[in-house]
Amino acid sequence: MSQTKPRVNLPDYPAELQADPRDLPYDKDQLRRFYEAMKLARTFEEKLASLYRQGKINGAVYLGMGQEATSVGSVSVLKQGDFFTTVARNLSAYFYKGVEPRDVMARWMGKDIPPSHGRELGLFLADIKNLGNPPYHNGSMASWIPSGAGYALAFKLRKQPNVMLAFTGDGATSPGDFYEGLNFASIHKLPLVIICEVNQFAYSTSLAKQMPVENVADRAPAFNIYAETHFGNDLFLVMEAARRGIEHARGGKGPALIEFKTFRQRGHGEHDDMAYVAPELREFWADRDPIKMYREWLLKRARFKPEEIAAIEDGIAARVDSAIQYAEAQPMPKPESVTERLFAPSPHDPKPEDRLNRYEPIETPSIPGLTASHDKSTGGHF
Amino acid sequence: MARLTYLQAISDALKLEMRRDPNVFLIGEDIAVFGGAFKITQGFLDEFGEGRVIDTPIAESGFVGAACAAATVGFRPVVEFQFIDFISCAFDQIVNYAAKCYYRWGIQMPIVLRGPTGGGVHAGPFHSQNPEAWFAHTPGLKVVLPSTARDAKGLLTAAIRDNNPVIYLENKFLYRHYREEVPDGEHVTPLGVAALRTIGSDLSIISYGATVHLCVEVARLLEKEGASVEVVDLRSLVPLDRETILESVKKTSRALVAHEANLTAGFGAEVAALIAHECFDYLDAPVLRVASLDVPVPFSPPLEMAMLPSVDKIAGAARRLLAY
Repeated sequence: MSQTKPRVNLPDYPAELQADPRDLPYDKDQLRRFYEAMKLARTFEEKLASLYRQGKINGAVYLGMGQEATSVGSVSVLKQGDFFTTVARNLSAYFYKGVEPRDVMARWMGKDIPPSHGRELGLFLADIKNLGNPPYHNGSMASWIPSGAGYALAFKLRKQPNVMLAFTGDGATSPGDFYEGLNFASIHKLPLVIICEVNQFAYSTSLAKQMPVENVADRAPAFNIYAETHFGNDLFLVMEAARRGIEHARGGKGPALIEFKTFRQRGHGEHDDMAYVAPELREFWADRDPIKMYREWLLKRARFKPEEIAAIEDGIAARVDSAIQYAEAQPMPKPESVTERLFAPSPHDPKPEDRLNRYEPIETPSIPGLTASHDKSTGGHF
Repeated sequence: MARLTYLQAISDALKLEMRRDPNVFLIGEDIAVFGGAFKITQGFLDEFGEGRVIDTPIAESGFVGAACAAATVGFRPVVEFQFIDFISCAFDQIVNYAAKCYYRWGIQMPIVLRGPTGGGVHAGPFHSQNPEAWFAHTPGLKVVLPSTARDAKGLLTAAIRDNNPVIYLENKFLYRHYREEVPDGEHVTPLGVAALRTIGSDLSIISYGATVHLCVEVARLLEKEGASVEVVDLRSLVPLDRETILESVKKTSRALVAHEANLTAGFGAEVAALIAHECFDYLDAPVLRVASLDVPVPFSPPLEMAMLPSVDKIAGAARRLLAY
């Protein structure tokens, strides 16, 4: 089969935010908070990539540059008690929710800090109590859709008015878990919101080779669920769409699938040079970088002064530098801790006295192998 | 005490734990309206309602993943696999989500994954398997295999109260074939303490699950031939009661390991290695294993019986060891 370069079809997404600030319910502090979370993640990840190249981070690093608006916009409309789970591209969502950059950096460096104590990569965090970020399985794509259904089920069983928001990507809509999780959630009308960030590539494989439909939302009729598709780099569009999905789910009407078209600006991991991405596609999305567009909007339309933005950015740079210093100063885990915390203590763990009466004879052994006609047991052959 | 089948003992444990703890719920295929393919949960829907006895689509990975999640926020789900063969459809959620959650983040996942294992009932390749080794090999999972009705109740009670994922493997032949006196009310058998089914001084046979019954029969046969055989029933593979295995082998100096799962990389290899490592100086004979042949479980009775361990096969190996 001859390999021809696919023609790049560019959508007609605008290169600037459309919202009129007078229509928005956000004050200046809140607008600043959105910018800080997105820019902090971008600055942090740029630094993380440098550290990786300098050999200061082991393994591989996975960045979410370009997906800051989908991340921050979606979690910003969650309410107290709602849950969310992320994929590798949602660091800005964590920062918006208050995760400290210094702790993330220390985790990337494999340091001995809670909750993982060096057992998990820096991008995976679970902290139910402080963050509403429950544990889930991040290894295989879509594995977290069933767990998302499970958290939504827990809310429903407890009659809690909360939702479970799960970020996912276009690549994660291929495995069976996507179907099994959404199918179950829809049957039981569970408050599950899927935020699907279509970032154009599943590792190196294009959408055309991933799915036979144009939009992930085209799959929603199979589950009879609410779905919308939007441009994902406009922070305010994201918020509006995510809010509609969240309120649909919170209202007991079942899951919502909100699809955002966006772009993964870096490789799958920093080891990936993205040679498979056409230059015009990169340029198109570079013009529509979510942080660049939001920054321009703040300056042009929300009356932020250049020196205000500069002060925010200086503060962020200093915060990332101090995060690195902090992380470097943290201890590595002790090798002998490797076997600790495999099993949680339980009420019936064996005690010495349990070993006193181990003789429990079997009076009449049951021997399998009877044929059906000889089987005299009641209640069926099995 | 009441005389219960192995199956009734499982039902009894589930019912008592559901009455005791409102966070226990059941989830699986055909368990609510139909009462389960084997009728273990018959009547449960009426007593506990559809919020606690949940029928699912035929999608094991989906409902296992969902149940695992609920377990991390205070529930204690008990998942039923209609046949344990279908646990492979949920393998990823079990070995990558359930098994690793506490290690990764210190968040407990108290979930029981239970279902019928075992052959000898002519049910063919997909209703007869014994998958314990897959899970015993995965750090972070407990693996429990009751051989008696008392243990079926006691071990299931402990499994539901355990704060970790527990793979609880029932034997479908024993469901209605084995019955015995089972304590009424609360009955707990700790996970990780083996039982002695016979006491002897010439040979230790280490086994678990339904194969224990074959081993007890072998002990009786050999007793008539003048040999004193000790049958050690592990009851759980993880945690493993090493102490009871080693104590027994040090006493008898001869060890045979028997299980129904097929031989290669079966759990018996682990037990044999443990004995070789810890009891080498005590042994008077090599450690032998009896297990199923390394083929899928065939349907037709003569093929299936040729594949499975039997009283004759175990007795033959035991005689070789005693004569060594």
